[in-house]
Amino acid sequence: MVFSSMTFLFCFFPIVLILYFLVPYKAKNIVLLISSLIFYFLGEPKFMFTFIFSIILNYIFGLLIDKFNTLFYRKVAIITAIAINLTLIGLLKYSNFIIENINSLFSSEISLFKYALPIGISFYTFQAISYIIDVYRKEVSAQTNFIKLALYISLFPQLIAGPIVRYKTINEELSMRKHSFEDFSYGVKRFIFGLSKKLIIADQLATLWTLSIETNQPSVIYYWLGAIAFSLQIYFDFSAYSDMAIGMGRMFGFHFLENFNHPFCSKSITEFWRRWHISLGSWFRDYLYIPLGGNRTGVLRWGINIFIVWCLTGFWHGADWNFILWGLMFGVVLVLEKIFLLRLLNKIPSLFTHIYTMLIVVFSFVLFNNEIIDAIEFIKSMLFMTDIPFFTVESNYYLGSYLYVLIIAIIFSTEIPKYIFLKLNIKPLWNKIFNFTEPIMLVIILLLSVGYMVDSSFQPFLYFRF
Amino acid sequence: MKNKIISISFIGILITVFLLNSILPAKAISKSERRKLSQFPELSINTVLNGEFTKKYEKYLLDQVALRDTYRTIKTLSNFYIFHFYDQHGIYLKDNHVFKMEYPYHQLSVEKMADKINYVYEKYFNGMNVYFSLIPDKNYYSKDEKYLFIDYDNIEVILKKKLKNLKYISLFDCLSLDDYYKTDLHWKQENINEVAEKLLSAMNKDFVSIDNEYDKKLYYPYYGSYYGQSALPLNPDTITYLSNNVIDNATVYYYTDYKSSPIKTTIYNQDDLLGVDSYDIFLSGAKPIVEINNNISKYNKELIIFRDSFASSLSPLLLSQYSKITLVDLRYISSDLVGDFINFKDQDILFLYNTLIINNSEMIK
Repeated sequence: MVFSSMTFLFCFFPIVLILYFLVPYKAKNIVLLISSLIFYFLGEPKFMFTFIFSIILNYIFGLLIDKFNTLFYRKVAIITAIAINLTLIGLLKYSNFIIENINSLFSSEISLFKYALPIGISFYTFQAISYIIDVYRKEVSAQTNFIKLALYISLFPQLIAGPIVRYKTINEELSMRKHSFEDFSYGVKRFIFGLSKKLIIADQLATLWTLSIETNQPSVIYYWLGAIAFSLQIYFDFSAYSDMAIGMGRMFGFHFLENFNHPFCSKSITEFWRRWHISLGSWFRDYLYIPLGGNRTGVLRWGINIFIVWCLTGFWHGADWNFILWGLMFGVVLVLEKIFLLRLLNKIPSLFTHIYTMLIVVFSFVLFNNEIIDAIEFIKSMLFMTDIPFFTVESNYYLGSYLYVLIIAIIFSTEIPKYIFLKLNIKPLWNKIFNFTEPIMLVIILLLSVGYMVDSSFQPFLYFRF
Repeated sequence: MKNKIISISFIGILITVFLLNSILPAKAISKSERRKLSQFPELSINTVLNGEFTKKYEKYLLDQVALRDTYRTIKTLSNFYIFHFYDQHGIYLKDNHVFKMEYPYHQLSVEKMADKINYVYEKYFNGMNVYFSLIPDKNYYSKDEKYLFIDYDNIEVILKKKLKNLKYISLFDCLSLDDYYKTDLHWKQENINEVAEKLLSAMNKDFVSIDNEYDKKLYYPYYGSYYGQSALPLNPDTITYLSNNVIDNATVYYYTDYKSSPIKTTIYNQDDLLGVDSYDIFLSGAKPIVEINNNISKYNKELIIFRDSFASSLSPLLLSQYSKITLVDLRYISSDLVGDFINFKDQDILFLYNTLIINNSEMIK
C-alpha cells in the first residue's frame, strides 16, 4: 500500500487519524503501532513474521548491549545483531543476485528463490542497525519499552520509502510529543505537496521515460528526453515520498529530518550527495565511512574506504551490477572532486558547474534504470555514437507535448519557487493573499492530485473503439 | 485560524470521501469508459495473505470512487490547459471534434490482415468476385501535422500488393471530417450515400443509382465513445438513422452460437438507443453473423460483407440492391467456422474494414 493510493488516502489514513486523535494520550503509541503493523501486513503479508522478528531481535539486542558492562560482550552482542540484520536483508534481498552470479560463473543450476523483495526491508533494517550502533556507542540508551521501540522501527510514514530516521531524532517524541494545529497543518501541507509531486509530476514523467525506451523510432533527442524525464521523475517520486512521510510524521507530532534539499541545484557531485537522500548518505558516513577511518588515513586506505562505501551505497539501491556500478561511478567522481576537480569547479562560472553536475547525474540515472549493456547503448545514443537520427516525428511530438511538464518540473526542482514565495511573503499584501488563499489552494491541489490518481485507472474497453 | 481551517478541511475531505465510498452502492459499469467496473473483492484469509485482496480493493476503490468522472475531467482539464499536453490518453480536440490518435503504425499488423483475408479467400471464395475497401479513421481527415498518424498510404500499398485476387475500392476521396460524429469514431449514416454508391457501382456494372429518399429519424443526445474517453464537457452528437420501404420491411437474423436458433429482429431497434452505446441502433451492435433479408427485393443477388462496426450503418443503404446481405464479424467468430453458417456460391464478397482494425488486426480470428 503506497501513500498515493485510494486505499491509503481514503480508507487507511482517515481511520488511523480518527482513532489516533480520539484515544487518550497514553494509547496513541499503541494505535500508531497497530496501524503500522496493519499497514505493513496489507502490503507484505508473507513477510510479516520476518518484520516482527526484526523488531524483537533489535529490541533484545539493544537491551543486551546496554546491559553488558564489558567491551567484549558488548562487541559480541553488536556484531551478532548486525550480522543477523544483514543476514536477513542478504537472504531476502540479495540471495537471488548471488545465486544468478554463481550460476553464470560456474554454469551451475541452483534454483532461485521465488519471492519478491519484501517492501521496506532496506529502510527498516538500516534504521534498526543505526539504533543498536547508537546504543553501543552510548549515544542513546536502549529503549526498554517494547511498544516504543517497535513503533520506532515500524512507524508507517517512513516504513517503506524512508527517510531513514535515526532513533535519537525521535527518541524523546516516542515518549512525549505535542500535537498542535500548527504542526498538523504543516504536516498537511507537506503531505499534499508530496502527493502532488508524485501524482501530477513524477507519474507523467515516468510515461515519457517509458515512451522513449519503448519507441520504434529511437532518436538522440528522444533518448535525452527520456533520460532527463527519468532523472526528474526519480527526484519527484522519491522526494515526494519523503515529503509525505515528513508531513504525516508531523501530523502525529514527530519531527523527521529533511531527506532532500534541492539536489539539482548542486554545483558538484560532492554537493549533490549532501542534498540527495540525505538520510542514507549520512547513515553511510556515520556508520561505515567514519568507522572505516574516513579520510584520516593513508591515500590507499582512503581509496579503499570510498570504494567500499560507494559499492555498498549502490548495492543498497538494488541487487544488480548496474546499481553497484552506479555507486562506484559516484565514488570515482567524488574522489576526483576531492583530489582536484572541486578546486577547478570553484574557479569556473556556476552555469558550467551546474551543467557538469547535471550531466553526471543524468547519465548516472540512465545506468541506475537499465542493465549495464542497455545503459551503455543508451548513453552512446545520447552522445551521437550510434546510427540513429537526431530527431524523429515521434520525438518532436513528445518533446512538444511534454515541454510544459518538463519546464514546470525543472523549475520546481530548484529553489526558485521557494525563493519567490519567501520574497513575496514578507510584503504585507502578498502575505495576506497567501494566508487567505493557502487553504483553498491546498484543497485544489489535493483534489487535482486525486484526479490524477483516479485517472491512472482509466482503461476504455478496446473493442468499443470499433 | 488558518491552521485550523487547513487541518479540519484535510480531515474532512478524507473522511467524506471515505464515507461516500463506503455508503454508495457499487456501480456495475462505467458508461463513459464503456467497461465493467471492479466489484468488491473476495475477502478471505487466503486472498488477504496472498495480497490479492489489497490489490483488488485498490482497483475497486479507483473504479467506484464517488464522482469518478468528475475527477477524470479535472485531470484532463489540468493536462490540456495547465500542462498543455497535446493529447490525453491519445485523445485530442480539434475543430470541435474529438480524435483518438492511432499510433504507432503496425506494418506487421497490416501484413497479417492481408494474410488473413487471403486465407479466407483461398478457403471459401476462389474464383468469386471479391472486393476490399478501407474506411479511413477520422484522424486521416484531421489534417493536423502536429499529431502522430499511421501511414495510410503504406497501408493501401501493402494491401493492394498482397491482395492480388481482390479488387480494391478506394473510399478515401468519398469522405471528409464532417462525415464522422464529433464525439465518436464512426461515420454518420446520413452522410455516406456517396460511399454506398461507390461500392455498389464497383461491384455491379449495371448499377445506376440508389434511391436517396429516406425518412430521417433523430436521436439526441448521442455521447460517442470518445466523449467518455475524453472526460471533457463537450456537446453531444445527434444520431440520424435513415428509413425507407426496403429498410422498414427487412428482417434481420443474428446468430449467437451453434446451438441456438438465429434471433429475429429489425434493422433499427430503438431500445438500443438507450443502451451503453447508442450506435447499437444500427443492427443492434456487434454480432458474429447477421443476415439482413430484403423482403421486397427486385434482385436475386446476395452480398456478404466481412466487416467491423462501420458496416452496421452502411449496409441498410446497400440493401435495396440485394435480396440478402450477410455481415460477418471476424472479431467474434473464427474464419474457420464461417462456412458452417454460410453457403458460399455466387454472392458478391466485400471485405470492408476501417484502418483502426487494420492497424490492430490481432483481434481478427
